[in-house]
Amino acid sequence: MPYHQFKCSESIPERLQHAVDKAPGEQLTDALPLGYLNTIPGTISERGCAYCGAKHVIGTPMKDVIHISHGPVGCTYDTWQTKRYISDDGNFQLKYTFATDMKEANVVFGAEKMLKKNIIEAFKAFPDIKRMSIYQTCASALIGDDINAIADEVMEEMPNVKVFVCNSPGFAGPSQSGGHHKINLAWLSQMVGTGEPEIYSKYVINYVGEYNIQGDQEIMKDYFHRMGIQILSTFTGNTHFDDLRSMHRAQLNVLECARSAEYICDELRVRYGIPRMDIDGFGFEALSDSLLKIGYFFGIEDKAREIIAEETARWKPELDWYAARLKGKKICLWPGGSKLWHWAHMIHKEMGIEVASVYTKFGHQGDMEKGISRCEPGALAIDDPNELEGLEAMYELKPDVILTGKRPGEVAKKIRVPYLNVHGYHNGPYKGYEGWVRLARDLYNAIYSPMHKLACLDISKDEIPTDKGFETQQIYSDVMLSDEIKNSTELRKCTSKYDPIPGIRKKAEDGLYLFPDPKTGELKHVPVEKLRKNKVVDVE
Amino acid sequence: MRFRTGYSLIGLFLTGSENNNKKIMSCELKPKERVGVINPIFTCQPAGAQYASIGIKDCIGIVHGGQGCVMFVRLIFSQHFKESFELASSSLHEDAAVFGALHRVEQGIDVLLMRYPHVKVVPIITTCSTEIIGDDIDGVILKLNNGLLKEKYAGREVHLIPIHTPSFVGSMISGYDIAVKDFVSYFAKKEDSLNGKINLITGWVDPGDVTELKSLLSEMEVEATVLFEIETFDSPLMPDGNHVSHGETTIEDLRSTANAIGTIALNRYEGGKAARYLEQEFDVPAIIGPTPIGIRNTDTFLQNVKKMTGKPIPESLVIKRGIAIDAIADVSHMFLAGKKVAIYGSADLVIGLAEFCLDLEMEPVLLLLGDDNPNYAKDPRIIALKEGVAFNMEIVTNADFWELEDRIKNKGLELDLILGHSKGRYIAIDNNIPMVRVGFPVYDRAGYFRHPVVGYAGATWLAEQMANALFTDMEYKHNKEWVLNVW
Repeated sequence: MPYHQFKCSESIPERLQHAVDKAPGEQLTDALPLGYLNTIPGTISERGCAYCGAKHVIGTPMKDVIHISHGPVGCTYDTWQTKRYISDDGNFQLKYTFATDMKEANVVFGAEKMLKKNIIEAFKAFPDIKRMSIYQTCASALIGDDINAIADEVMEEMPNVKVFVCNSPGFAGPSQSGGHHKINLAWLSQMVGTGEPEIYSKYVINYVGEYNIQGDQEIMKDYFHRMGIQILSTFTGNTHFDDLRSMHRAQLNVLECARSAEYICDELRVRYGIPRMDIDGFGFEALSDSLLKIGYFFGIEDKAREIIAEETARWKPELDWYAARLKGKKICLWPGGSKLWHWAHMIHKEMGIEVASVYTKFGHQGDMEKGISRCEPGALAIDDPNELEGLEAMYELKPDVILTGKRPGEVAKKIRVPYLNVHGYHNGPYKGYEGWVRLARDLYNAIYSPMHKLACLDISKDEIPTDKGFETQQIYSDVMLSDEIKNSTELRKCTSKYDPIPGIRKKAEDGLYLFPDPKTGELKHVPVEKLRKNKVVDVE
Repeated sequence: MRFRTGYSLIGLFLTGSENNNKKIMSCELKPKERVGVINPIFTCQPAGAQYASIGIKDCIGIVHGGQGCVMFVRLIFSQHFKESFELASSSLHEDAAVFGALHRVEQGIDVLLMRYPHVKVVPIITTCSTEIIGDDIDGVILKLNNGLLKEKYAGREVHLIPIHTPSFVGSMISGYDIAVKDFVSYFAKKEDSLNGKINLITGWVDPGDVTELKSLLSEMEVEATVLFEIETFDSPLMPDGNHVSHGETTIEDLRSTANAIGTIALNRYEGGKAARYLEQEFDVPAIIGPTPIGIRNTDTFLQNVKKMTGKPIPESLVIKRGIAIDAIADVSHMFLAGKKVAIYGSADLVIGLAEFCLDLEMEPVLLLLGDDNPNYAKDPRIIALKEGVAFNMEIVTNADFWELEDRIKNKGLELDLILGHSKGRYIAIDNNIPMVRVGFPVYDRAGYFRHPVVGYAGATWLAEQMANALFTDMEYKHNKEWVLNVW
């Protein structure tokens, strides 16, 4: 597995070991790109900072919390409204963000007093909210404000509020990943064990590393509830602050994004003996295996099988409609840290797409290990990619579509490669069986976009057909298809609604879930209020 | 008089009752009373410096700070323009907090220059962290100029420009102002003869604004050095090649600013500093303001150009102006008159919009300025508002979005319209108030950067957007939507 030499990076030899080509027949151990090392300055890397990793990725999806950043206003402003982690009760976490607005005098004389004023002001403005999370920034870290001390003071004076402090300044680590780590451990040591939950099912899990992007969590929650499993907390999508205080009472940690949240799972195992089970919510087979795994753990694999059978029957014909038309297409799978290994093998296996390249902005070597092992030979794997390398790779690989973030997506667009947002999604959710069909549909719409075909024409040079008023995706996609597939009555296009989430939320209202009583095992309905918000009481 | 209102006209006849009226009807300027920020209207200084630097050709800025200070600012630019812009980071990590990070600036500049052979201008933009640490970027630039650039890059034109933009001072607006001035003061060089052009310092505007301004100047046959040439931010998707979106203002443009007939800075707080610098240093006469939003302010702008260049205002602009007024007259006194509007964003934009709204017979009842610039109190436009409005109007400085939302939700403020950028969208959405997106950033509407808000075309666009927003709202709410059956 030779290292991949980018021409644009010949002048910085230390980059060489950050990219590899997966060659046929080679062992993964032969070469892995380096990962999670300090960024080379001036490369125009795509990495963010440890503050955003903590606050923006993991902290803010909590929905009933005042999220306040202690520092100048920019950290807060810049990260606000750039993600799509929704909640089922009004999206407070998307709509509101708080900054202490540190000014020069605060830098000189300290900002602890004004931090305290800020906290009180914020609670006053939102009297119904009793939970707060404070995030340190570069500025407050460097001036040495003791945020924890202020938080303790406030909690003493206002006994009905809880304040969590995350000390993860922007410079704390090579990338946002440093912030994931810090907030994981900070939450565990400050908050876990301070609340006692009401247990209403025999089967109790934490769903960890899941941020409810466009409703991912809610799709998965539906499956868990159908299996009779109580979700104590989700770390941290669409979750309540107090749910996460009671994480220690779960029987199992079901871990989705291991990159951002394995730390808390590992510590929960050490401190409370809760096992960690890594799952994949993406892709029919990986998801089915995951549901089965959870089923086996609790001895309810029959429940899992029912769901798998029902969902597969419902959605597989739609996935296959797209798979037939996506076969052989080439993508670059360029996400942040975990989707390279969540998606690479499933996209290949279930949609027939060739993954020409994977990259990770903030992943570690472990992510590369998983990602590369799930790619086919020939794939190019890049750690901490930068602007020029991304362009060079796209010119070389000529992908049909690129799965990446908003801004790199604009770079791809300019060289006529359509992009799909892999962080916030185009038309997600992408988790679950229904979600996977939605991803296939979005890939199909991107790859066969008539507009992108037009973009490749040069009216000054090319032969331009003058007998066409329009073309459609299907005109392009069905050219090479056999009549059998084209005329299949079994296969069909995606029938998922524009927003499938309200329908899923309604299931809880309609009382469609039954949970086995923890003592008697008797199947019972649980009131919708409880399904929406676990009861958690303070530990004395 | 900058604008006329019912009050000031009536005042001419009823001078005796003026004092009584003033007690009831007044315009008040005050700072936000809270310490903290609930939903910020502005971001911090480095973002402004970054916005200025992407306007310069062959320029890639290095932001000296944490990676987020660049990554997220680039994201906001790409959200607004649906384009990607190149900006680099010195990628501050833990060790910098202890040992300083000048070596990372040195390495960053070298790496950038090696891999981007076309780059000539590299502003080093500081942030809160590196200003607190106290990294001496001016010193390291001196060192590189005498070392790396002389040795490794001998024969290559490279300009390293320190830009100090600590995030805990000012805002994105002052950061932009500082950066424009720093670029100008670095390059501007007096020559024996004038270049026959004016300097047009636009302030933080969009490509559509630059197009409109250049069209006005071209009708008057006036040549201008535009800071910055950002029409290319709206860049094409071409059948071949990689078209990176980038500004087109050249080093030569910046150099020759010292030899202009004069400088017109449209915005007092976004480029005014550079105009004053050129006046003081090179005797280039400066006219600062007004922001040419609305008919009246555009008239003033053209008068200023005429005064500065001696060029007459041609018939074509009389026609252009007439088309705008014709369009605006269709909507102003029938639909816009009496409508209460809140406006937020940068001071020059907000004041310009408020003045235009007054000419449209609207009532801008709340203006929110997102930073604490002490000069706002002395701004003649704000003084004129304080003297001239005939309804209750509040101007809040150092404002956040809570100043608007709290008034709507808890203090009975009734609004017909909100004008401002996308970060305030939920106030409009959740309170069912129509909103026209204007300013930066606008990411929840398509293509707004392409449309001017300045000049006669901008006045038309704004008035029609406001009217259309009200029309859509009438239809959604079934609020006399049948009026439009015969309009």
